[in-house]
Amino acid sequence: MSENTHDHHDVIAEIKKVTIILSVLTIIELILGFWMIGITSEGMRLAIKGTIVILMLAKAFYIVAYFMHLKHELKNLIMTIVVPLALFIWFITAFLSDGNSFRNLRNTYDPHFKEQATIKVEAKEEVAHATDAKESKSDAKEGKSEAKESKSEATETKKD
Amino acid sequence: MSHEAALHTHESHGHDDHGHHEHHDTFLSKYVFSMDHKMIAKQFLITGMVWAVLGGLMSVLFRLQLGYPDANFPWLETILGKWAKGGQITPEAYYALVTTHGTVLVFFVLTAGLSGTFANFLIPLQIGARDMASPFMNMLSYWFFFAASIVMLSSMFVETGPFSGGWTAYPPLSALGDASPGSKSGMDLWIIAMALFVVSSLLGGLNYIATILNMRTKGMSMTRLPLTIWALFFTAVLGVLSFPVLFSGFILLIFDRNFGTSFYLSDIFVNGVGALSNEGGSAILYQHLFWFLGHPEVYIILLPAMGMVSEIMSVNSRKPIFGYMAMLGSLFAIAVLAFLVWAHHMFVTGLNPFLGSVFVLLTLLIAVPSAIKVFNWLTTLWRGNIRFTPGMLFAIGFVSLFISGGLTGIWLGNAALDIHLHDTYFVIAHFHIVMGVASMFGMFAGVYHWFPKMYGRYLNNSLGYIHFWVTMAGAYMIFWPMHYEGLAGMPRRYYDYSIWESFKQFADLNRFISTVAMIVFATQILFLINFFYSIFKGRKVTDPNPWKANTLEWTTPINPGHGNWPGEIPEVHRWPYDYGKDGVDFIPQDVPVGDHESSH
Amino acid sequence: MSNVTTASTKEAKWWNGGKSPFDVEYGKVMMWYFLMSDAFTFGAFLIAYGTVRFSTNGWPNPNEVFKSYPFAGEGTNAPLVFVSIMTFILIVSSVTMVLAVHAGKMMDKKGVVRNMIWTIIGGIAFLSCQAWEWNHLHHEGAWWGMNPFINSDGTASTTNFTNFFFTITGFHGFHVLSGVVINIIMLIMTLTNQFEKRGHYLMIEKAGLYWHFVDLVWVFVFTCFYLL
Repeated sequence: MSENTHDHHDVIAEIKKVTIILSVLTIIELILGFWMIGITSEGMRLAIKGTIVILMLAKAFYIVAYFMHLKHELKNLIMTIVVPLALFIWFITAFLSDGNSFRNLRNTYDPHFKEQATIKVEAKEEVAHATDAKESKSDAKEGKSEAKESKSEATETKKD
Repeated sequence: MSHEAALHTHESHGHDDHGHHEHHDTFLSKYVFSMDHKMIAKQFLITGMVWAVLGGLMSVLFRLQLGYPDANFPWLETILGKWAKGGQITPEAYYALVTTHGTVLVFFVLTAGLSGTFANFLIPLQIGARDMASPFMNMLSYWFFFAASIVMLSSMFVETGPFSGGWTAYPPLSALGDASPGSKSGMDLWIIAMALFVVSSLLGGLNYIATILNMRTKGMSMTRLPLTIWALFFTAVLGVLSFPVLFSGFILLIFDRNFGTSFYLSDIFVNGVGALSNEGGSAILYQHLFWFLGHPEVYIILLPAMGMVSEIMSVNSRKPIFGYMAMLGSLFAIAVLAFLVWAHHMFVTGLNPFLGSVFVLLTLLIAVPSAIKVFNWLTTLWRGNIRFTPGMLFAIGFVSLFISGGLTGIWLGNAALDIHLHDTYFVIAHFHIVMGVASMFGMFAGVYHWFPKMYGRYLNNSLGYIHFWVTMAGAYMIFWPMHYEGLAGMPRRYYDYSIWESFKQFADLNRFISTVAMIVFATQILFLINFFYSIFKGRKVTDPNPWKANTLEWTTPINPGHGNWPGEIPEVHRWPYDYGKDGVDFIPQDVPVGDHESSH
Repeated sequence: MSNVTTASTKEAKWWNGGKSPFDVEYGKVMMWYFLMSDAFTFGAFLIAYGTVRFSTNGWPNPNEVFKSYPFAGEGTNAPLVFVSIMTFILIVSSVTMVLAVHAGKMMDKKGVVRNMIWTIIGGIAFLSCQAWEWNHLHHEGAWWGMNPFINSDGTASTTNFTNFFFTITGFHGFHVLSGVVINIIMLIMTLTNQFEKRGHYLMIEKAGLYWHFVDLVWVFVFTCFYLL
């Protein structure tokens, strides 16, 4: 019913408006992305990343509200869609903070894990170098790479 | 314009279908590929019962091992072959039995068997709809479940045995084919079965939600819905939002298994194979993803039972449910909290302790709505004119078990206590009482209560009473002692406790538990006999409303056909709990409000 | 009493049964809830990706990985160019989808057909772009379990960068593919006058919801993999 009262031109104008907004937001995101390439300061990068995330959410809002037409639905439907999405807040917070804590845990108690983060490898040859680095790590890891070789041999013979 | 048109065409379409079906019912369309919600409910129920028997039988087998670790039973070798060489279950078979018992009972019996049965059966009947919103999707939901069942069943016959890494399928046991015999093709089949199961529960859940929201009859406002429907509604929402997360977790697991990724793997050394090259993954990630489903899953199992118990208690106490809005609010609170507490299963995994303490707080909050529910059930019983039908007894038994199991939940929700109790028999006792047996009781209550509606006959009452009392006493005799074993540190999932000096003291207790388990299992067979005998030979129902209940399902004919009501769908004028109002025993929902009636 | 027409009573009546509280037919309710559950599927993937990224010390710089485009030479260094084209393709196809849905509401069959064709072309173009990118990365040695790229700080990277990239963009691509298939079915149904006969184009609306959701997911995937 409500569709009928909606003027045809209004709808087209709204679609045009949203298309322009989405394009502008995307272009701003891309500009920020290009700008970030040259920036090395961690704080600055984090700020840009935060801005990009906010822009991303704005884009999501426009798509859901106008393209998926949610804004013109009854409030009942809007609420039953938006309220459960609030679960994502804790979903994201808990997962990411535990991921972060897991890294700190390993950096503190897993010397091998920490060491990996300090060994640089040359670009393009990193595969070979990574194996070198692994071998030099510790005795246990030496055994590991040998075992890995024997494993790949084993799989080869299996294939035959 | 278009909306209205669509709504109307749909309605009349349903009518056409209705008439059409009555004429061309073949065996196949009536009993196999039926789109009638009542038949689909029966299909779910009976498939669930088959799984319950299989799962129960598995528990009897591994209890045999735990109770009699040194004994030989030659008949075991006859039925299990190489899995019980010399009449004793092998460790591999033991783990496979434990794993399959868990998976089957949690997912196939208490999820599909419970909410599949009663959501399908009760939603259209109690809200006043001719069928589900999409009968076709409903049928698909059952057949996906059936396919999942077949795949799961076939995993038990592969050479290397079914998956044996526990029902939670933690990596690396689930991610590496070399990890254990059960991790080979048994695990592949397990994961396919579970993926099919997720599809089935999504199809079902979407249908339940759409039906409850859109298909209510005139006057059936949300606050006039029976609590059963509310519980089934939240169950469906929980399923729709949490199963996809498990699905994602399983997809990552499949890649880890088959495509050399290391989402969940890091620093792994396999005996006989050596160190693996997988680095950078996190097994904790899998646990997070699993329990993001896993905890709501507990309530997916429990909420339908809660709803049915509320309904059955009110009917059989001849009293309105105490605190309808509080019941509703606590259902909602439980449904929300279900999503916020998953990591209390993971306190000892290396979870951030601070994060853990937030999870402790959120977990303990669940005690509040749970306590509200228990209080309301007890006050519903208070001064009621109680009819102790078997269904009612099982409902009361549910409350008893929910209290006993819920209290130990408060212990386990504390991270500090959980470090001691984690992975011991205390946990086994806790979740079997509060989730397993309690929900089973809810399911039994539902079956006893709605059997007359399902088949037009009564179940045998005497057998029902024997069934209840043995099961009730047995449940406590099996699981109560496990608390003591757990407090003493006896870990779960071990094959043989007799080789530890400290657990030798429990040998007699274990034997006692095993014996009771077998007796209780035998009593369930009694129930099965009662069930199948009564379908064909039970006492016939003569009164369309045998329990004198208010809800709409009792306004249908004794054996409702496809479409439920032969004439118009009744209009609803009141809430479903007008018992003993103004001195009238009961006033069904479709009775208009009288002029001099007091308001509730 | 019946004369009272305040907003609150009007609202309460939506829930009184006998009609949809959302004023939409059940199929659309189901589609919305299906999309909710699918949002949790993708959410779980992206959050898993975030969790692993947070628990790892270094991570490759996307600008050093995704820096080529079709028909460019070996040493091209054009980060973000190709992916922005992909993004715009999907946005434009979403716009044509809205126009198709709107045309459906106006019962304008020609408009539906025209815009559906553009949407399908957009979807296929996006899939082709993705196919090229996958192929290109595969030639550079990237695949599930293989990661030729190094972390932005010059240390060795784990394979999880490519693992997640291929899994999540693959899953999204699978959704695009099924969206294209659905849209083609819708187009055929429009051309055979099925919706004209029904008197409404509600199926197009539901297909539209799905297609916009695919676009929505790309907004997140694009940001998480190429920008952050």
